[in-house]
Formats: sequence, structure tokens, C-alpha cells
Amino acid sequence: MIEVEGLTKRFVDKDVVANVSFFVPEGEVLGFLGPNGAGKTTTMRMITGFLPPTSGSVKVAGLDVSRDSLAVRARIGYLPENVALYPEMRVEEYLRFRAAVEGVGRAEMRARVDEAAERCMIAEVRRQVIGTLSKGYRQRVGLAGALIHRPPVLILDEPTVGLDPRQIVKIRELIIELGREHTVILSTHILPEVEQVCRRVLIIDDGKLVADGTPEQLRGGFSGAAQLAVQLEAPEGEARAALEALSGSSGVKSEGNGHFRIAVEAGSDLRREVFKLAVAKGWMLLELAQTTPSLEDVFLRLTTHDAAAEAEAPVAEVANA
Amino acid sequence: MRKLFALVQRELLAYFSSPLAYVVLTAFLFINGYVFYLIVAFLNDPRTQAMAPLKLLFGGTIFFWLFLLFVVPVITMRLLAEERRTGTLEVLLTSPVSEGQVVAGKFIAAFVFYLFLWLPTWVYVWILAGHAKIDFGPVWAGYLGIALLGLLFLSVGTLTSALVRNQIIAAILAFAVLVVVFSIGLVENIATGAALKGALGYMNLWDHMDDFAKGIVDTRHIVYSLSLTGFFLFLATKALEASKGR
Ligand SMILES: Nc1ncnc2c1ncn2[C@@H]1O[C@H](COP(=O)(O)OP(=O)(O)OP(=O)(O)O)[C@@H](O)[C@H]1O
Ligand SMILES: [Mg+2]
Repeated sequence: MIEVEGLTKRFVDKDVVANVSFFVPEGEVLGFLGPNGAGKTTTMRMITGFLPPTSGSVKVAGLDVSRDSLAVRARIGYLPENVALYPEMRVEEYLRFRAAVEGVGRAEMRARVDEAAERCMIAEVRRQVIGTLSKGYRQRVGLAGALIHRPPVLILDEPTVGLDPRQIVKIRELIIELGREHTVILSTHILPEVEQVCRRVLIIDDGKLVADGTPEQLRGGFSGAAQLAVQLEAPEGEARAALEALSGSSGVKSEGNGHFRIAVEAGSDLRREVFKLAVAKGWMLLELAQTTPSLEDVFLRLTTHDAAAEAEAPVAEVANA
Repeated sequence: MRKLFALVQRELLAYFSSPLAYVVLTAFLFINGYVFYLIVAFLNDPRTQAMAPLKLLFGGTIFFWLFLLFVVPVITMRLLAEERRTGTLEVLLTSPVSEGQVVAGKFIAAFVFYLFLWLPTWVYVWILAGHAKIDFGPVWAGYLGIALLGLLFLSVGTLTSALVRNQIIAAILAFAVLVVVFSIGLVENIATGAALKGALGYMNLWDHMDDFAKGIVDTRHIVYSLSLTGFFLFLATKALEASKGR
């Protein structure tokens, strides 16, 4: 549905998005992760055609964004990062305006406005002037505007920002539901949201794509897939050597008082071996807990740059100034 | 077409929900009323020769021009600059409406507002009609001239509003360009050489307005205004296309 090929955006002399390629099949909900300034918004703007790429191409439903701009725009519902609305309009007027501009016919207008207002839970503020709405309601009005014409593709830049916890849950449910009929790309900084909502995750860092897969793949696919926390009543040195000798263990850290932390290779499960070892040796097993890395761990590992580079950055800035 | 209509409608709503519209409207009525009073008082003076008062109201005095030069930038400054500043332009330009349609919608709404400003001046026509027989030919021609001038000036304002995100800068730019557009023809009076004089005369808006107010509808004047309008709107569309994502 969405084909992104070698997409690059250069601002001044920096590639803010550098050679990014990915494909989103129809009906997929794709999560876009990355630290602040990674280039998520820039990429989304290029997909919607708002920003012309420096090089590379974007195709939506087989149509090139720069060549068939209007046709592509008609197929996309877009919620920009800073939801900009017309403060002097009433919610209902705004939705009608959006619908008309998106090409919704007069006959369907009423039904579409009702549907969008109901789905985004803004029915109770329909008569209110947008300028007087709270931030969360404005966010929801923006979302309603993005899906008013039932576009096959939805691009949502941080759709749950500014919502209260109950609304976050509801909007997530809505996005999951939308994902059944629409292709969705959403960006977010809330990692549990990605796991709940997205079938696939892209992590972008400093303009480059650094990970692409399902949340499970991302969690499982990286070194030290799981960790085992073990507490044994046993002689420290001997226990440590024995644990290290287990096949599938890629390192043991002794934390004192019988606590060990074992790094487990991807795809292995050492819990049984540890138990058998304890039984065979006659050691008392006090604790055995397996922790899988969270998406957060993966995110941090992929997007944290080494300390030396971090320390250098401010110096470079001063030198430039 | 329905999209264009929606754009115009939204823009008009924005005009009439902002205090600026009412300030402009009030100032316009006040100054026009004052000028009308001055003209009538002046014509009542037995030393002046007989002149048509409406002819003076339509471009015959410097007030008319000063006011247009000031008011048109105020009408147009918001159009695109504001949308760019608040970010609503991002929504608009990712909707299936072309940049040309966006510019057209803005421009038409500004023109409707401009015509609305002139509507109350029919009161003067009505007042004069109560005192003397009025020849409606020059009146209609005068209003045609005002409309054409409005198209031309508003297209300049639309262009400058497309170029920048700050309304005030858009207004000042529009004012500067309008002063040039307005005064270039006035150079005719000091120009030497027949060809130059002729060319400048073709561009002399004061004379154009004078002709219209006399009831002379010269197609060359109409062509001049409309082609310049088209040119500035074309530039505005190109500016909007080029400025995407900025
Ligand atoms: N118009 C522009 N001119 C110059 N640089 C820009 C422009 N727009 C964005 N950038 C730069 O591009 C980089 C990526 O910005 P972008 O908004 O895409 O980040 P993001 O991933 O959406 O970040 P966030 O999580 O904070 O929303 C930033 O360093 C930003 O400063
Ligand atoms: Mg962003």
C-alpha cells in the first residue's frame, strides 16, 4: 500500500532523513519510533506530499506522491504533529469543511460527520467553538478530521499526545479498529502503545532506519534476548563456573549473596537446566526468574550513542557558534 | 467546485468572526462618509465649477487611493500567512485541493469582503438621487472600476501573504508593491518621449479610474487590470507550491 524507496531529506547540510526504505502492506498498523529529532515527522510529511523529498520516492496505492499528488492526497487522512485547527469555527463546521475539502458528497456529509464525531468521542462538543476546547478535545477533533473521508491510508503523528489515560485507551482501541479497514502509520513515544496497537515497528534514529520488525522480533532479535535472575545457596565460585558452563548461557554476573544474573542467548531457555543443576549439586534454589527485554530496552540500545560522542556534541556546537 | 465553495465559505467565516473586519468596515465607512461630506461641501461652494460628486468619490481624490493602499493589505495579510503560521496550511495542502484552488478560494473570499465594504456607499448614490437627477451610466462604470481595481490590488496582497508567515510583513510588502503598481503610471506626467509616455499612460490607474468615473468603459483598462491580476495570482500559486513544508 505504501512503498518508500531510498527516501532522503536534506535540510541545509544535514540529512535529516537518510535513505529510508520500507513497505507497508494493506491493512497493517505500523508504529514509527525514534528519539526527538530522529526524522519521524519529516518522513511522514514526505509521505503525505507536504514536503518534497530531496531524493527517493514514495508510492501510495501504486501512485507516486510527487507525480499524482492530488490522487494520493485523496487517499490519505493525515493528523499532523501539532494539531492545527481554525479556532473561530465550531467543531461541526470544521468537520463539514474538512469533509467538503476531502471530497465527501453532500448526500453523505451528515452521516460522515456523525460517524467521525461519534468515533472520536466529540459528539458532546459539536456545537462548541474550537478555540475554547481543551487540548485533548482539539486532538480528537483533529483525528476526526483526518478520518472523515474514510481514507484507505491514515498517517497519524503522535495521535495520543495530550489525552487523558481513559481517552488514550479509547483512542488506541479506535486505532486498532481502524487498522482492520485502513493502513495506518503512527508515530509515538509511548512504547507500550506500540506493542498494543502496532503489528510492525520501525525504529528510526538520526534519520536512519535502525530496526524493522514485529515487536516480538525486535525484543527477541537482539543480543542477550533474555536474562535469568538466580539466587542459590551455594559456594560462589563453584556455582558461577557451573552456570557459565551451561550451554546457552553467554555470561554470568555474580551480584553477591548468592545472586547471579545470567545472560541467555536468543532462542534458549535455561530455567530447566538451572533447576536440574541445583538438584544435582544439592544447592538450594531460592529464586529463578526470567526477564525478557522490553521494547524500551531495545529502543534504548538502538538509539543511545556512546558516551564519547554525546560528550563531544556540545563542544562541537560551541565551536560552530 | 464544491471544494472551492467550501474554501471561500470558511474564509468568509474567518473574516466576519475577526474584530479586524469590523474595524476595517468602520474605518472605511467613517473615512468615506467624511470624504463624501467634504466633496459635497466643496461642490456647494459657489466658486467651484459644476462636477459630478460621485466622480470625485470614485478615485477623484487622494483619500480614495490612500485608503485602498492601506486597506487592501489589511484585508489580504491574513490569508495564507496565518495558515502557514498556525500550521493549518499543512492540513490544507495535504487535502485533495490544488494550490491553485487554495489561492482562488482565498482571493475570492477577500474580493467578496472588499465588495461588501463598498456596499454602503450606495447610500450616497441614494442621497444624491434624492436631490438631483443621476446618470446611472457613470455610477455603474465607477463601481466596475472599483471592482477591477480591487481585483488587482487584492491579487498583490494574496501574493505577499503567500510569501511569508508573518501577517504584518505580508501587509507591509503588499503596501510597498501596491505603491509601485499605483505610482508607476503617475510617472507619465513627468516622462519625456512619446513611447514611454504612452506605455506609462496605459498603466496609469488614476486615469483609468477617472475614465470609469466619467462613464467611459475602456477595454484596455479592463484588460490591464485583469491580466495583472491573473499574473499575481499565478505567482501566488507558484509561491505556495514552492514553499511547501517550509
Ligand atoms: N524546515 C526545517 N528546516 C531545517 N531543519 C528541520 C526542518 N524541519 C525539521 N528539521 C530538522 O529535522 C530533524 C528531524 O525533525 P523531525 O520533526 O522529523 O523529528 P521527529 O522524529 O518528528 O522528532 P519528535 O519526536 O521531536 O517529534 C530535526 O533535527 C529538525 O530540527
Ligand atoms: Mg515529530
